[in-house]
Amino acid sequence: MANIAAARIQREFKEVVKSEEVERCKIKVALKNDMYNELEGTIAGPPDTPYAGGTFKLEIKIPETYPFNPPKVKFTTRIWHPNISSVTGAICLDILKDQWAAAMTLRTVLLSLQALLAAAEPDDPQDAVVAKQYKDCPEIFIKTARHWTNIYAGGPHRELDLENKITQVMGMGFDEGKARVALSSHNWDMERATENLLS
Amino acid sequence: MMPLVEQEQLTLFGETSRLHNFKMTDTVDMKSQNSDDSDYDESDNMDEDDEDDYCGYYDNDTDDLDIDKPKKSDDPEYFEFDLLHLEDAERLLNEEVEALCSKLKIDPSLAKMLLQVHGWNKESIIERHIIDHGKLLVDSKIKPAVKYKDTCFSNYRTCPVCYLTVQKDQMFSVSCGHQFCKECWDSFFQIQIQQGITTGIECMEKDCNILVPEDFICSALSKPDFRDRYSTRSFTDHIEGHPQLRFCPGPNCSVIVRAKENKAKKVECGQCKTIFCFKCGIDYHAPTDCGTIKKWLTKCADDSETANYISANTKDCPKCHVCIEKTEQCTKCKHDFCWMCLGDWKAHGSEYYECSRYKENPNIANESAHAQAREALKKYLFYFERWENHSKSLELEEQTLLKITSRIQEKVMNNAGTWIDWQYLLDAAALLRKCRYTLQYTYPYAYFMEKGARKQLFEYQQAQLEAEVENLSWKVERAEITDRGDLENQMDVAEKRRQTLLKDFLEI
Repeated sequence: MANIAAARIQREFKEVVKSEEVERCKIKVALKNDMYNELEGTIAGPPDTPYAGGTFKLEIKIPETYPFNPPKVKFTTRIWHPNISSVTGAICLDILKDQWAAAMTLRTVLLSLQALLAAAEPDDPQDAVVAKQYKDCPEIFIKTARHWTNIYAGGPHRELDLENKITQVMGMGFDEGKARVALSSHNWDMERATENLLS
Repeated sequence: MMPLVEQEQLTLFGETSRLHNFKMTDTVDMKSQNSDDSDYDESDNMDEDDEDDYCGYYDNDTDDLDIDKPKKSDDPEYFEFDLLHLEDAERLLNEEVEALCSKLKIDPSLAKMLLQVHGWNKESIIERHIIDHGKLLVDSKIKPAVKYKDTCFSNYRTCPVCYLTVQKDQMFSVSCGHQFCKECWDSFFQIQIQQGITTGIECMEKDCNILVPEDFICSALSKPDFRDRYSTRSFTDHIEGHPQLRFCPGPNCSVIVRAKENKAKKVECGQCKTIFCFKCGIDYHAPTDCGTIKKWLTKCADDSETANYISANTKDCPKCHVCIEKTEQCTKCKHDFCWMCLGDWKAHGSEYYECSRYKENPNIANESAHAQAREALKKYLFYFERWENHSKSLELEEQTLLKITSRIQEKVMNNAGTWIDWQYLLDAAALLRKCRYTLQYTYPYAYFMEKGARKQLFEYQQAQLEAEVENLSWKVERAEITDRGDLENQMDVAEKRRQTLLKDFLEI
């Protein structure tokens, strides 16, 4: 069965490279080794979303039983999204679990992930903290997601007020990454974020 | 535990009087039997005397049973079930499949899928079949709403899974029309079977959830051992999907229990003796229901560390503070106390038994969150401790039973009565086990109960049962110096309490 997996990936790889649609939607795959079982995916943040302008990298691992089982995919670029873990990059998406079908391809996976960035499913969250913010304080969520896109994915929009708060918390002797997570997780409330960092 | 000191003198005494008693009652009963059956006696004068006695003896016996055991309709735990072997269960399923086949004029593979999808509810399938056959098949994921049409006129196709080009007649599809090559179907089925999926295998196309029928799978599988694994696994799926059937959860036991009603009732496997709940398949849990016991067991697993700390196997004697294991007395100062609340046992007597009832802080709503959390933990630990205590006592009583058995053996060997004479001791130990088991499962029930009159009644009955179970335990442990009548009376009282509680609170 391993030979089906490798043969399929070789053909799929060509398909993604050639496809015009791929060019238009800005998705990419690159091989990480010549065994065709590890790849790196890249998707552009969809326009009119807080992720617009950012470039997100994905780690794709192909199981021996591919395409009868789904590929294992996670974000390596950090991202603020209800269905993606802000810590590990793990993704909650049905087609990567029980809704996978052997006729699906890497191209469909990448396009589905791009669609997920455009339309989150907060009722089936991977990251409960992000999902709660998405539902309760949508404005704060958008600013936070845009800030993360700017910092980690090269997005163009800076959120100066949020950056200020991070600098302030860093002034108390905390690490930048930890300060960002604490502030993001507590709706940018300085007091609660520092309390959390201290406990 | 049981005082195994030399009490031969005492026991012999007790035994002779018991045997004497036995004879007395026997004659009294027979007299009454004879007078009851006077018609019978007159008409059958021809019969010899001893045969007459013989008939009377057995009639009398059945009467006894009627008095001692509750009638079927009275017993809240009564449940009718059969124990089936694998072959019987297989035959039963096949009969149901065939019945549906002939009724709906469909093939067995399709009938099996329909039954599995609809929880083996044949009547509902037939009803829906009559209303709209097409809709039934679409709703059951057997036929697509719209079939995929192959519009390509070439003799070759590219398999969407392996991307290889194959001849048109080497491509196969199920009812939805999505075509894949034979090798891909084969590999796909093998991987699904390896992952334990059989009856729910769907088409390989994106967004297509049409189920693949058994005959299609079996003809595509190239390896015979996979075909065997498929049929074994799908049989298991069918049993698990059938509301009237359940596998015995006992280790390595292949018995299948069949009951007409899917209720949370007690089932005992005839082969491995496992006792379990028919509805959920875990240890029998009356009076607690399936959902509550699951919540309780999850909670116990979560909070095990804290609980472990509390439920250590030892306690301090409340009088002399020496650390003791649960026996029945403090071995050091001989003070008798209640293991549960460490209060003086004398005060428990026949009086109202209070130590099974949790006394909630009445002012808790006004306390701080911290105090509330502490109170919640205290409440949980209170119930958990009692639950654990009974579970441990059940283990201890297992040892008592072994001791009783070996003592009986010894006595029979020494000609001190026959095996039958001592049988009542085993009955007492078995009944104690049964009562304590129910008592153990009253604690999760009480834990999740809302405060109010019903909980008060429950706790009252629980306390009554608790007291009688402890009395019985006491007497069983001292069986050799307890009068038989006294012990049997205690058995009756304890069982009545258990029945009363179940009748009032076992919701089925």
